[in-house]
Amino acid sequence: MASPFPPSSSAPGEGCLVAELTPQKTSALSTMTFQYPLKLISPSPSANQKSVLVFLLTYGGGLVGGDQVHLTITVKSLSKVSIVTQGHTKIFKCPSPDVTTRQTLHVTIQDGAALCLLPDPVQPFGGSVYEQSQKFIVSETGSLCLLDWVSAGRTARGEDWDFCKWNGRNEVWSSGEETKPRLLLRDNVLLDGDALSGSKKYLKKKMHGLDLFGTLVLRGPLVASLSAFFLDEFSALPRIGARDFRSQDTKDKDSILVLSHQEQWRKDRLSQEATDRILWSAAKVRGCTVVKFGAHTVEAGRTWIGNMLKEEGSIAASFGGDAIMCVR
Amino acid sequence: MSLKADCAESQSICDEIALLEKRLKVAKDRLSGLRPNSDAISTIPRILPNNGSLAASSRHFLLLLSDSALPLGSFAFSSGLESYLAHSRPNSSFPTFLEFSLASYASTTLPFVLAAHRNPIGLVELDDTLDAAIMCTVGRRASVAQGRALLSIWDRSFSAALPGGTSTATVEALKGFTLLLRSTSSVASSDIPLASAHLAPLFGAIACILGMSLEQTAYVFMLSHVKALLSAAVRASIFGPYHAQKVLASVEVQEEIRKAIEREWNTKTENAGQTDDDERSPEQSSAHF
Repeated sequence: MASPFPPSSSAPGEGCLVAELTPQKTSALSTMTFQYPLKLISPSPSANQKSVLVFLLTYGGGLVGGDQVHLTITVKSLSKVSIVTQGHTKIFKCPSPDVTTRQTLHVTIQDGAALCLLPDPVQPFGGSVYEQSQKFIVSETGSLCLLDWVSAGRTARGEDWDFCKWNGRNEVWSSGEETKPRLLLRDNVLLDGDALSGSKKYLKKKMHGLDLFGTLVLRGPLVASLSAFFLDEFSALPRIGARDFRSQDTKDKDSILVLSHQEQWRKDRLSQEATDRILWSAAKVRGCTVVKFGAHTVEAGRTWIGNMLKEEGSIAASFGGDAIMCVR
Repeated sequence: MSLKADCAESQSICDEIALLEKRLKVAKDRLSGLRPNSDAISTIPRILPNNGSLAASSRHFLLLLSDSALPLGSFAFSSGLESYLAHSRPNSSFPTFLEFSLASYASTTLPFVLAAHRNPIGLVELDDTLDAAIMCTVGRRASVAQGRALLSIWDRSFSAALPGGTSTATVEALKGFTLLLRSTSSVASSDIPLASAHLAPLFGAIACILGMSLEQTAYVFMLSHVKALLSAAVRASIFGPYHAQKVLASVEVQEEIRKAIEREWNTKTENAGQTDDDERSPEQSSAHF
């Protein structure tokens, strides 16, 4: 009898995922291999699923000092994949700064295919050393939605950016038929803790009271409306230093006016952003849209990005509601 | 009687002459004491020593590139200072911002200056890579505006005064880059342009052609950033011009620049990124100075 489990690749921490379109026009996995400490789970497919859902897990819910995870994903023509996690990816402390915990992801998105990678935030514990490198090779008609966020650690235990080192790199490359791949975007975030910098509270000071820092990268036709949504909302933000010069009378008069749903939603969001101390920006970088955001607490950041994704709605519509479970 | 008187008068004149001669001698000695090498005057060459035309001209161009009158338009940008002030008032601190800004500017762009100086032939690729690594719209605009201005200065002003002994291959590479830039900007398309003319790689390549050393180039590049920030601070009424000069002259700023250059000396361009900074891992910061 054949083993009911997927065959595993030989190297520890290695994983491989290939998705393709079935004759029934639904996306399905043709290959799924993984080796400890990496674990991949895909719920049994349903007939009307919009994309293949895969849980990216690690044993114990995190990576122990020195763990190396290397995952390769190929999203074949016209298929769609959503990758989620089951909670924060915890990065446990390392015995010394020389031991690096590393996660690399290599993704190829073919013509008309799409990948939605919305994991929970990475939570680096005090004394952890972590490097993450994610490379996406996206065809001209392929789409990518990528969220990469990191928290200050176990804030309930008083941790506040107390890790040793956190490096994150996201690269988006274009792939053409006859041209060689071209770098479209490279975002390196290098955070060195106090142990490496030698100065006390340096990183904390620099994070300016933020407990969460995130980057959302969008590229391709399937996320074009979401990109436009973020860029529009960003340009609708009040100017820095702008003041409300209306008199109390006018304010009272204006408050009776019935606002459209969009205006009301924006108004509520802006006041929420002020209370939660959300700081964000959106920029168009060589065909990709990059949204950077910071929040005073992890939950505030989660609520904010969730509010944006749900209000616009195209991610859930294209990939299925489960794709955005990290912000539900 | 009169003879005697005449004799006495001539004696007094003789004494006076002797006295004057003595004073003249003392005065001459004093003069030669003031100019100990008065004999050597004839050995000083009539013109300045010419120790290699390249060295002399590189010093000349070092002064030109570090001059705040260089029409780059650097002072049109505040490198995020205005935004910082708006977000952190009333608790803003300029020294803190300067420290972070220096570290961040060095880690994101200095590797591109160094790489372009070391290999000016790879200018097009460096420019393209840097274009992919700038996430901020305003920062991109600032970098491109200054880069294009520097290229114009090169084209219209510096290239006519090329020092002797410059590598023609490097000059050709720069010429090729200019042509590429013109061809991309004339074609209005939605495609990503092949060349953008960012400041950092162009500064490295042009400084290399002008014969400046790698250290000089890096130092001038970082110092210009500090000068631009200080000018923005003066215009934002944080402090006055004397305090700005005091900060510019301070040991702290010198030390920060030196540390930043040391830290990024061996950073590869693919590892350049937004840092919180202070000391990068030891293998990357093995210093050359």
